[in-house]
Amino acid sequence: MLIRKIILPLLFIGFISGCSHYSSSEERPDNKAVTATQYPEPDPEISKLLNTYRDSLHLQMGETIATIHDTLRFSKPESALGNLVADALRFRAGSELKQFVNIGVIGDSSFRLYLTPGDLTRMDVLEFMPYENHLVILKLKGERVMELANQVAELGGAPISGMRFRIDGDRARGVLVNAQTLNPAEEYLVATTSWAANGGDQFPALWDYSDRIDLHEVNVRELYIDYFKSRRNIHANRDGRIRS
Amino acid sequence: MAAGLMTPLGAGAKLLTPAKPNVTILYTNDTHARLDPFPDNAVEFAGLGGIARRASLVKKIRSESRHVLLLDAGDVFQGTPWFDVYGGEVDLKLMSEMGYDAMAVGNHEFDRGPDGFAEAAQKARFPILAANYDASGTPMNEYLQRLIVKEFEGFRIGIFGLGIEFNGVVSPDLHGGVRHRDPIAWATGMTNSLRQYHKCDFIICLSHLGFQYGSGRMDDMTLAEKVAGIDLIIGGHTHTFLDYPVGVVNPDGDVTQITQMGHGGVRLGRIDLSFNERNQKYALSDRYYTIGEGTE
Repeated sequence: MLIRKIILPLLFIGFISGCSHYSSSEERPDNKAVTATQYPEPDPEISKLLNTYRDSLHLQMGETIATIHDTLRFSKPESALGNLVADALRFRAGSELKQFVNIGVIGDSSFRLYLTPGDLTRMDVLEFMPYENHLVILKLKGERVMELANQVAELGGAPISGMRFRIDGDRARGVLVNAQTLNPAEEYLVATTSWAANGGDQFPALWDYSDRIDLHEVNVRELYIDYFKSRRNIHANRDGRIRS
Repeated sequence: MAAGLMTPLGAGAKLLTPAKPNVTILYTNDTHARLDPFPDNAVEFAGLGGIARRASLVKKIRSESRHVLLLDAGDVFQGTPWFDVYGGEVDLKLMSEMGYDAMAVGNHEFDRGPDGFAEAAQKARFPILAANYDASGTPMNEYLQRLIVKEFEGFRIGIFGLGIEFNGVVSPDLHGGVRHRDPIAWATGMTNSLRQYHKCDFIICLSHLGFQYGSGRMDDMTLAEKVAGIDLIIGGHTHTFLDYPVGVVNPDGDVTQITQMGHGGVRLGRIDLSFNERNQKYALSDRYYTIGEGTE
């Protein structure tokens, strides 16, 4: 998996001045010295060489697997794209396990593209989700699932499937799991990625599970390719699962 | 001393000399198979980067500079479908065409194991540096070097590479028999060797350790603080966009500069180095270019 990017240029300025062993940024007489300039024209020789490899790339990756009919972006509290990516995890987990899986969850930081109307190729999906992860199914106590809902609420919403709730401040209210009131004593199956289960992402509730199944053979990137393929036509679809 | 090192050749440089800097160091890190620019529907950096545009900028700078060093701090592999199809060979081929002088080994260079690395590395016509990786007995071994020396007008620049500790970053089945060794000890050894035996005037560490952690994992900040004699650390791994180098006082009381250019080839870093007839550096200035944003 790629290490997630850390972009802190502004943060660093405060950070540096607070730290005694740095040479001070105040010594820098003129920040304009680093003003970025650019050069947009591609080098013809390198472009040509790159293009000699492109045919094979398109042959292997250019297959259209679905048609996108609306512009799909991640947004809060709920978005069509968020619903889709979380549903895909939950549905696949259910079919792999041959058992009903209650919840799917994945952070939107795992995705690097939004989707625009037109053909969706295998290459697009690999860019959409560039990280190497496998599908993980966790068994969580109801009280952990409540924490999960609250962690989603704190973020103002996140891709989730199988749950419905309202965000009140930074708390989740009226939490339903599969249309039933959340029972703190019950155990629930939650589908997510190995990255989130291993301590990545922003859902610490996932890290305290009573059981864990690693489906190493289900690569999450391939999971999304399969899911888009099976859907063929993708429309924006929101169902009010998270409201604020 | 520190202030002198930080003197840019921008507005303040009028006081120095209008002469061209002696050596221009250009660098990237964590390009992650981003051969084409980021797609227009990318969540971040839409339309930026692209190796052909970087190549064209490098070519232009070469035409304006006396000497150019072109370096990369690792993680050329993994991140776009180019890697899924070609496993890094196209990247290394194109970097060779562009005249890269050296790169470090990133953790993602292990994504197809030592065999996959060796297969792609056949395309590299530049040294791949990892002083603290012991790859003996693996197919990677013949493609790794610890250090190189470049000489420009009698000024000798020593370059060595450092790789990150595998634990938690590269799974044991992928790094195969390659062993990681203490970066501080190996950086000290490389620096002493480059200074004393190879008579280098300037030392660059190509590091894939990462800029800074709070966790005890070795990082560039700690390396700079603990090892004397490194002038410049060109870092990677943490994808940190440093708008200008961070200076750290090293055990000799000199300043080690640390720089890193984010990821994806969005930026090309540049450090200009000037030295006098006695091979003493007197100025070091920095800037960066954002590839594909506006015009020169």
